[in-house]
Amino acid sequence: MITSLTTNAANQPAKPAATPGRTITLRIKRCDGPGKPSTWQDFHVRPLKNANIISCLQQVALNPVTTDGQRVAPVVWDSGCLEEVCGSCTMVINGKVRQSCSCLLDDYAPNEGDVVTLEPMTKFPVVRDLWVDRSRVFHALKRVKAWVPIDGTYNLGAGPKETPANQETRYVLSTCMSCGCCLEACPQFNMEEQPKDWDQAFIGAHAISQARLFNLHPTGAQLERERLEVLGGVGGINDCGNAQNCVKVCPKKIPLTESIAAIGRAVTIHKVKQFFGR
Amino acid sequence: MQTATSNTTTPASPSWFEKNYFLIRRLHSLTGIVPIGVFLVAHLITNSSLLWGRAGIRPGDGEGLSLTEGGITYFQKEVTWINTQVPHLLLIEITLWVAIAFHSILGIAFALTGKTNTSRYAYQSNWRYALQRFSGYVGIAFIFYHVATLRWGWTFLVPGGTQWSHHYAVSTLTMALRGGEQWTPAGIAVSLFYFLGITLLIFHFANGLWTAAITWGLTISTSAQRNWGYACLAIGSGLMLAGWSALGVAVLVDPAKARAIEQSMLKAAPQAPLQTQVPDTDK
Repeated sequence: MITSLTTNAANQPAKPAATPGRTITLRIKRCDGPGKPSTWQDFHVRPLKNANIISCLQQVALNPVTTDGQRVAPVVWDSGCLEEVCGSCTMVINGKVRQSCSCLLDDYAPNEGDVVTLEPMTKFPVVRDLWVDRSRVFHALKRVKAWVPIDGTYNLGAGPKETPANQETRYVLSTCMSCGCCLEACPQFNMEEQPKDWDQAFIGAHAISQARLFNLHPTGAQLERERLEVLGGVGGINDCGNAQNCVKVCPKKIPLTESIAAIGRAVTIHKVKQFFGR
Repeated sequence: MQTATSNTTTPASPSWFEKNYFLIRRLHSLTGIVPIGVFLVAHLITNSSLLWGRAGIRPGDGEGLSLTEGGITYFQKEVTWINTQVPHLLLIEITLWVAIAFHSILGIAFALTGKTNTSRYAYQSNWRYALQRFSGYVGIAFIFYHVATLRWGWTFLVPGGTQWSHHYAVSTLTMALRGGEQWTPAGIAVSLFYFLGITLLIFHFANGLWTAAITWGLTISTSAQRNWGYACLAIGSGLMLAGWSALGVAVLVDPAKARAIEQSMLKAAPQAPLQTQVPDTDK
């Protein structure tokens, strides 16, 4: 049985230690490639102390034999930093989206016989097994021009000063790693295989929050109207259904729903000004 | 020439819908409050006078009336006033119908762009997201049935075939809900559908007020959203009490007793029947 869904044990009462030398089952949704059918395969793993999902997947890769004794192709997954700042190892673990690197098995599956299911994210095309193509996330950042425009033909000099209060608001927004958790959990953000359909479908909480981050930047604000124009259109802020799952699954605890409301206000003001010819 | 590569797409010139997307979405939000929401509040308050109407009658006018009799009297007065005194009633109805049709059609189109996932993410706000859409679907069916039967006189949809009359507002309503003078199984189904429809529509309105404040950017901070949520909960709870009490009295009142009060009111105010024909509901 799973006793806890959290990895941050700092504020929790002391938990019973994980059973040493236990065997757990990884139930993994396998897929050989785009458009191929999916099947479930079970693997027995003996998690080492402090193991995370990635190190268990490494054990499976060493000896890819299912619980039926069948030797299969090693499981493919994507990962990078292994410290929950790059977002690439995001997957659906026991039905909930999160980073697999920060999913520690001592907490998550402490007992003999615990089962952990691993699925690729469902809102992005599967490349293979647990590896998905998150290009749409980065395409969305380009749409809202999530950057500070500093390119020029001469030295523009120092930018305007930023107030500490503004810094404080922006800091947490800047911790977004575009992992896609907010999109996976969002009922308004759904799979669009074709890039041509991306601009018509909901852009998602992360891009809205990043637009807010760069609108709040003294130099980034130069592009505010262009960002609000995109977010006022089809697939923009109005497509949010306020289910507010995004803020609950965000591993960085970014106040995504506040960003959505703030951009909602900015778009309202922008459009009213536009209606009256600015 | 339009060319498209894998990474960048050359958009076709935007359609009328796309160009006016923001306006359409915000009109969808606005029509839910004005006129539909405003009408809903007025309608529920009027209907709930079936319960509290005795207290609304001026001292001296309601001597000796019981709570129920007072409620029927007051409610009948309100209904007569609306149907004989309110100016431009047809214009008001058309405005409401256009607004409801606009809100419904766009609401369905927008709702179809989402896929509920409460089984995986069973958060309270996610349940409200799902319920907002479900209540919209049921609400459209309920409003249509409600207006078709009681306003347009589509009596073939009423068990027992009662035609609602604004001169006999309570007795004909009770019979339309019960399926006749006495309860019938079809009448129980109609009454339960009313309970469901009223409850879901009030939820839809109250939750819509909460989401509209986020959409328009009125409530930004988490605490502002929470506080406005409590306010919407209070508004919704009050309207629930109004709606349930109206329905409760409407199904429980004795049609014969209501008819007697309505007939005596018609005799006391003969100018009303002169303007419109009194349907022959005596038996």
